Amino acid sequence: MPLLSTILWLPIVAAIVLAFLPRTSDAVVKGWGLFSSAAVFILSLGILRGWEDGRAGMQFVESKAWIPQWGITYGLGIDGISLWLVLLTTFLTPLIFLSSWNVKYKHPKEYVIAFLVMETAMIGAFIATDLLLFYVFFELMLLPMYLVIGVWGGANRIYAAIKFFLFTIAGSLLMLLAILYLVFQNYHQTGIPSFAIADLYGTELLPRAQTLLFFAFTLAFAIKVPVFPLHTWLPDAHVEAPTGGSIILAGVMLKMGTYGFLRFVLPLFPEASARWANLLIVLAVIGVIYGALVAWVQPDMKKLVAYSSVSHLGFCVLGIFAITQTAIEGSILQMVNHGLSTGALFLLVGVIYERRHTRLLADYGGIAHTMPVFAVFFVIAVLSSVGLPGLNGFIGEFLILAGSFQTHPVAVIFAASGVILAAIYLLWLVQKVFFGPITNEENRNVPDIAWNEIAAMVPLVIFMVWIGVHPNTFLKKMEPSVTHLMTMVAPSTADSPTPQLALERRALSPSNESAAGGVR
Amino acid sequence: MNLTPLLEPNWVKAILPEIILSLGGMLLILFDAFAPRAKQALAPLALLVFLGTAWSQILFLQDGLFFGGTYEISAITIIFDITFLLAGILAILFSREYLQREGIEDGAFYALLAWGTVGMMMMSKGLDMLLVVLGLEILSICIFVLVGFHRRMPVSNEASLKYFLMGAFATGFILYGIALFYGATGSTSFPKMAAWFASNDVTPLLTVAFVLLMSGFGFKLALAPFHPWAPDVYQGAPTPVAGWLSVAPKAATLIALVRLFDAMAPVLPKVNWMSLVAVLSVLSMIVGNAVAIVQRDLKRMLAYSGIAHVGYMMIAMLTVRDDSVAAVAVYTITYALMNIGAFGVVSLLVKNQNDPHTLDDIAGLGFRRKFFGFALAMCMFSLSGLPPTAGFISKFYIFKTAIESGHTTVAVIGILTSIVSVYYYLRVVYYLYMKEPAAGTETATSAGIFAVGALMIAVAGILIIGIMPSPLFQAAGNAARMMLQQ
Repeated sequence: MPLLSTILWLPIVAAIVLAFLPRTSDAVVKGWGLFSSAAVFILSLGILRGWEDGRAGMQFVESKAWIPQWGITYGLGIDGISLWLVLLTTFLTPLIFLSSWNVKYKHPKEYVIAFLVMETAMIGAFIATDLLLFYVFFELMLLPMYLVIGVWGGANRIYAAIKFFLFTIAGSLLMLLAILYLVFQNYHQTGIPSFAIADLYGTELLPRAQTLLFFAFTLAFAIKVPVFPLHTWLPDAHVEAPTGGSIILAGVMLKMGTYGFLRFVLPLFPEASARWANLLIVLAVIGVIYGALVAWVQPDMKKLVAYSSVSHLGFCVLGIFAITQTAIEGSILQMVNHGLSTGALFLLVGVIYERRHTRLLADYGGIAHTMPVFAVFFVIAVLSSVGLPGLNGFIGEFLILAGSFQTHPVAVIFAASGVILAAIYLLWLVQKVFFGPITNEENRNVPDIAWNEIAAMVPLVIFMVWIGVHPNTFLKKMEPSVTHLMTMVAPSTADSPTPQLALERRALSPSNESAAGGVR
Repeated sequence: MNLTPLLEPNWVKAILPEIILSLGGMLLILFDAFAPRAKQALAPLALLVFLGTAWSQILFLQDGLFFGGTYEISAITIIFDITFLLAGILAILFSREYLQREGIEDGAFYALLAWGTVGMMMMSKGLDMLLVVLGLEILSICIFVLVGFHRRMPVSNEASLKYFLMGAFATGFILYGIALFYGATGSTSFPKMAAWFASNDVTPLLTVAFVLLMSGFGFKLALAPFHPWAPDVYQGAPTPVAGWLSVAPKAATLIALVRLFDAMAPVLPKVNWMSLVAVLSVLSMIVGNAVAIVQRDLKRMLAYSGIAHVGYMMIAMLTVRDDSVAAVAVYTITYALMNIGAFGVVSLLVKNQNDPHTLDDIAGLGFRRKFFGFALAMCMFSLSGLPPTAGFISKFYIFKTAIESGHTTVAVIGILTSIVSVYYYLRVVYYLYMKEPAAGTETATSAGIFAVGALMIAVAGILIIGIMPSPLFQAAGNAARMMLQQ
């Protein structure tokens, strides 16, 4: 069986097997989830082994007729834009099972099944090369997430689950109509019905139609990201979701939106994107600052992290709609970064919540005395999120800001304040929770982080440092695809990113120092 | 005058399905009369009759026109026959244990299902409006009795009477419409009307005729504003009957409407009759979905959702072309699976059938009876049109044809109302999985092998059509093309 299909279907097959398994102990159920998702991760490393550097187009391409009379194919492929997002998905899923190993929750079997189904849907959305196939996976992931929030969530879970579902479905159904219209126009021009994304890129649209379609697609993805002012579902969903749900939601699912911008909105509607880029950039910058300010005043740790997501994903959107090579590469990297650091933060908030059953900042203080190892991990995750040089967040934000400065200097000036605000609210969080005297007697005897939680955190920290000190491992693989994307979106500027920025990019990675020095 | 012989040589083969069903129905009644203690055998016997009918379709497939060109057997009528048989089989499977539990099992029940199916087959195959009305009346009489089959239940009797009175009214409208059509065009046969429309202009009389016909058929389809009977009747009818009633008669009426619209095709660009249909469609989608939100009774909620679903199907009917007919054919099959499946799960609830079946009755069912919960959830996902279910791909087909025919505005309204519908379908899932029943108030469910088998068919069908829709689309598309070429 081809590699991508194997990775795609293995989780759902594991879920079906589990569904038919007779009653077993919780450990077997969780072990099965961990084992199968770890197997998927190991298999997905095969993508890197077979990866051809320097190729811009889709790799590992698979294509079979699905609904041939309409030109719908079961088409899979992976390129530099989706590569790291797929690996992020397969990487985070086993960590969820690992980190929640000791957590007691009701209906563990259904819990594991929901996450495995979700994994298939998320991988599928990233690797589908057919618009309808993408749409199917894009919606399929909603159902398990709805159940995860609604069944295993907190006190206000029903409201959050339904709000999450309705927001997302409202956007995506309008996108479905736009897809139909786009395909129909393409059929008119070529005479061959096709839903393949590559065939649709060349569709010529009247300006008005292009604007409408642009907004239909953008609305769907902007809700998912979420872009201000469509973000209101996010804090509710995050706060109510169980830890694993929050990690997947923030780590992967939000990236469906930013990925959708890159894969569909920019190349399908280049003129409309250029025309309306400023609107999206303004909203992104508002999101950066607004998210940060609201995060600052949150009394609840999880809500704080949730609003920080609004802020951080604002950077990604800014980078995408700045439409420069550097900014887009920075955006993709920042998507991965956010998955790692915010995933880690949610995981750690979950760890402490399991022990103390409160997430209010006011209930903590001086936790570093009782949970020193936990504090170390938390501080690393916070610093990565803040963008400390040497860790991953810095690289992503720097590339985005540097790349966007070419085209939107004013926006960058405002967005840069988000970096400072992030430092303020996150470090404030650290100070309040971890340092100072122990104010709450109940915090005296909290057990430190457990082995399974350490085992889940260590890989995350490794990648935070790796991206931080040697981002070229990651940038190198996405570069040809982004260059290709630029030729589709803005043909004039694509070939030559300004020499100065190319230099900066090279200078960022220590291994290329000699090369950079040579240029100097 | 050229007299065609009244009976073609193969006429027996052509109406073999109808013959088997009619005789099978009589056999069931007689069997129950002579062996009243062998009620156990009734449902298997009825299944045998339906399966035998399906088998006769495969074996003696005989395309062509029969009875002086008034009866058409073609690929599309076979697809609709299969839909009717599927609906009937699912209804029998769900009915058996339900009727036994309620103590009202009777040979006549299954016989009426079989005869009703004969009526629907006549509606889908008749090329003459009188034949359509004849089929419709055979069907309606069966429905009157089936709805009131709970003889001792006041709600059931009330529902039956309501359906009877309103149905009689609607038939009157249809007959008036046909009479005016006959007066204007000189024929009640679809092909002859088509020939007339091709060479003549419309008169005001025809507009009146069309409005009358649409009112009557609108009643049978439960299109808004002719819908208010539907929730009451579904609520009162025995639950498996309600499921069958919400699907099969609508499918038969739709195919008859396709023939009418196709016959009128030459004049439709010149008159704005179809904007009337568009109004009915939009109104149904809005009223159905909006009112369903406030329903707590599952059967009433499904009734309003059914009103909305006919609205979706009418979108495809706005322009009759091969794709739109195929879309309607596919949608009715999907709708049969998901809606009868949903009513089927409701029919498993053990409670006084006079009381409403509210959402509270299914609270926590998803973890208590996993398969029932899963099946109902799948039906709900399919009804709300979420992938990877059949409901998604069928609705996708509808909207695809709408866009291709240029009905973008109606399609946008359809999409917007579907967003609304997601709310109340998901509320069922919420009750299934996220709501704990108050202690000691769990509603029990009972199901034997028949109902479980029916649910398996429904769930498997929903998933198979949802994941591999291509063969069905191919068959429906070809059938529709052949039908419209004639």
